[in-house]
Amino acid sequence: MKKHQFVCVLVAILSLFIPLTAQGVQEQQELVVYAYDSFTGDWGPGPVLAEQFEEETGIKVNLVSSGDGMEMMNKLISEANNPWADVVVGISDDMASKIYKAGLLEPYKSEALSEIPSFLHFDPTYQLLPFDYGNFAFVVDTEAMDSDMVPTSLASLTDPIYRDKVILIDPRTSSVGLGLLLWTIEVFGEEGYLSWWEIMKDQALTITDGWSSAYGLFTEGEAPLVLSYTTSPVYHVTYEDTTRYQVALFEEGHSTTIEGVGLLASSNKKDEARQFIDFILTKGQLTIAIANSMYPVNSKTELPDAFNYAPKPEKNLSMDSETLAKNLDRWLTEWTQVMSK
Amino acid sequence: MRENNSIQYRRFYRTMPIPSMVVLLMLFFVPLFFTLSSAFITEEGFSFSRIISVFSDPYTQRIMGFTLLQATLSTLASLAVALPGAYLIATYSFKGKRMILALSTIPFVIPSILVVLGFVIFFGNNGFLNRALMALFQLEEPPLKILYSFPAIILAHTFYNFPIIMNLVSSYWEHMDENCEAASWTLGANKVRTFFSITLPRLIPAIVSSASLVFLFCFNSFAIILVLGGGPQFTTMEVEIYRQARMMGNPAAASALSLFSILITSLLLLWYNATQKKLGQSETYSTSHRKAEKRPATLVGSVLAFLYTIISFLFILGPIVSVVVRSFMAAPSRSAQEVFSLKWYRQLLSLEHATGHMGSALGALTNSLLIALAVAVLTVPLALTLSLAIRRKKHTNSFLELAGMLPMTVSSVIIGLGYYLIASRLRGGLALSYTLVVLAHLVIAIPFVLRTILPEYRKIPLTYMHSSLTLGAGPFRTFLSIELPLLKGAMFTGAIFAFALSMGEFNATLTLANSSIITLPVVMYRLIGSYNFQGACALGTILIAVSVLVFIVSEFARGGTYGR
Repeated sequence: MKKHQFVCVLVAILSLFIPLTAQGVQEQQELVVYAYDSFTGDWGPGPVLAEQFEEETGIKVNLVSSGDGMEMMNKLISEANNPWADVVVGISDDMASKIYKAGLLEPYKSEALSEIPSFLHFDPTYQLLPFDYGNFAFVVDTEAMDSDMVPTSLASLTDPIYRDKVILIDPRTSSVGLGLLLWTIEVFGEEGYLSWWEIMKDQALTITDGWSSAYGLFTEGEAPLVLSYTTSPVYHVTYEDTTRYQVALFEEGHSTTIEGVGLLASSNKKDEARQFIDFILTKGQLTIAIANSMYPVNSKTELPDAFNYAPKPEKNLSMDSETLAKNLDRWLTEWTQVMSK
Repeated sequence: MRENNSIQYRRFYRTMPIPSMVVLLMLFFVPLFFTLSSAFITEEGFSFSRIISVFSDPYTQRIMGFTLLQATLSTLASLAVALPGAYLIATYSFKGKRMILALSTIPFVIPSILVVLGFVIFFGNNGFLNRALMALFQLEEPPLKILYSFPAIILAHTFYNFPIIMNLVSSYWEHMDENCEAASWTLGANKVRTFFSITLPRLIPAIVSSASLVFLFCFNSFAIILVLGGGPQFTTMEVEIYRQARMMGNPAAASALSLFSILITSLLLLWYNATQKKLGQSETYSTSHRKAEKRPATLVGSVLAFLYTIISFLFILGPIVSVVVRSFMAAPSRSAQEVFSLKWYRQLLSLEHATGHMGSALGALTNSLLIALAVAVLTVPLALTLSLAIRRKKHTNSFLELAGMLPMTVSSVIIGLGYYLIASRLRGGLALSYTLVVLAHLVIAIPFVLRTILPEYRKIPLTYMHSSLTLGAGPFRTFLSIELPLLKGAMFTGAIFAFALSMGEFNATLTLANSSIITLPVVMYRLIGSYNFQGACALGTILIAVSVLVFIVSEFARGGTYGR
């Protein structure tokens, strides 16, 4: 009697797992692509790209939301013993030194690179291939902030009139957050950047873990200023036909970033992965440009008119990769110490 | 012959809980071992260097300070809200009193991720409350800027926890006899003085006991801080453990941090146990309710009772109702006005093509249902066989009982961390990952199910079983034909609890899951993160439905008496 019951229960329990296992089997046939949240999200380019790519090649893509850029990279590194991803989309030049060091990526010199201007080839080893680029900027909700109120420099953001009106992003987890950290170092220098952040700690409405939450908060109307890109208005013009969201151009210039896509050395679907990368660098460029609201890297891409609403900064700021690789960890630690006080 | 039998019986009652004990200890200690070893073992072998470097970091110290500070303030705020309510409930009878008492079980049945969601939707700058106030008073700016600040965390914790204190203190108060107060009045002390020198001191054990429980919950709070906090300034230990392990790729530091958390949690549990014992000794319970039949004597009293009822209704139900309402709304484009729509439910059920996180919602729902079912089915026999043995012990707080409660000494984030460390050493597919989720949920659910089954087991007089044995049935047959049928209700309640707990489990799942694992609360969190509130609300409404089920079952179980 007991045995009988026991066996029944056991069988019942085991059978529960059949659907879960089956799901696993099915997923193993797909190309696994890690991308940051806003790329895979409801408003991002990922879902459309995956569909177009599947139509063209018959290869099914499983897009995995992996947090914001920094979080995604750390996730990849911590999964090194048990890798799952085939392709990673969205590791920026700012944080790339860490992924090179981990040695997880396999170099791939795609033919499409010939259509990409050489100033964008940020990785000479081609572990990461550039797929879009842009300038960091603060975006303004003009319905919630008058035009004479719009800040004109990083320093002006410390004015008490912007208290609780700015949404910032954590540089430890987000590539956009990291972008702002570097931007402040480029503008204020190593001596000055921490005092800017010390004031902004109380000025900011909140510091989110990723760009998606920050931008979501912003479009929900929780604050009129958010850290994003000069190209962000393109999205709203294209899909919502509104110029409500505009860029605050800063006189001292805007930091640039180039985002890269990479092939995991551990992948067992490298051919499919390379096809996907090629697709992103060529046919996928327009979708990425609009839905991700960034400049396409491929010089053959024709920019839609909506990009007229993305103002060009007078000055582009950037940092050489050696300084970056040497100091990034220290800067992040210093930042954490100041921001937790 | 008789001698022989009783040895056999004893052996039966001793062996029955062994499998459960083994499973429980394995599931609890193996992950904990992985966590501790990753805290202490560095490249140079066993060393304290990692612990020392983590704890000497001023950042860690500030996080510890903040964790204790927010827990203290949240407890004080919960006390401030709960005690007036406890007074009203213990002293008067008024309309809505039963409802308030019923509502006070809500924090036990709704998952924290739901609290966060409801909170953002109800109290946000663009939330229901602010919009209502703006419309009412013709304001340009939202008047209540509560979210994304320190007060938001305290407020959310108060919302979540004040009913616990209110419930525990008022029921203690109601059963306290009134003789001492009567004596004080006779001796000429007025009402206020009597309250402060007689009633309040007598209530202290109940207040301390419930407050320490709330402190424990706030100390271990995770989802609320993760969403409502923001930045390094408003980070607690649990959130930092998760961030270090999963976002910053530093599980060793996370393990070191978890030592502090385990230490505090264990101390708090010991303290709570002590206060519970004291509570049992300090007062002779009067069996009858005291005066609670009285209506409020003065007009002020009735107005206060009325106001308290209304406000706590609004406070508790407002966020939950907003979740349901918002789930039926959708905006045609990102910046357009929201209108009534079934879009999110159609997407949830895959009737409409969905992208991004909503696209994985149906998968998450089936996963969650399957996991919860497995957890419910597995937990009940484990808890049942444990109870069977504990029932035979003469002392309460026997080793077995304490062992059953062991998982409570460790926060669910740390349990998740342990399983994450195991998972990162194993090579295996999704099936393995999901098995680990089930096991982690199992460990978390066992103490609660044990607490449901054991009291009912204790209500069955041992004489029933003795009669059965005397009449010639063996211990196993006795178990099958006496104990099991009598415990059917408790087992069912326990299973429902385990099911709901697993459905809503967020902390451990998020901490242990790699990106391929999706459950309902995890998808909800990601939807909140990408500001698809309505989608999150649709999933939240399902969780609310599960909670309502648990609520009904627990109310029913509390009302019923059986076994006689």
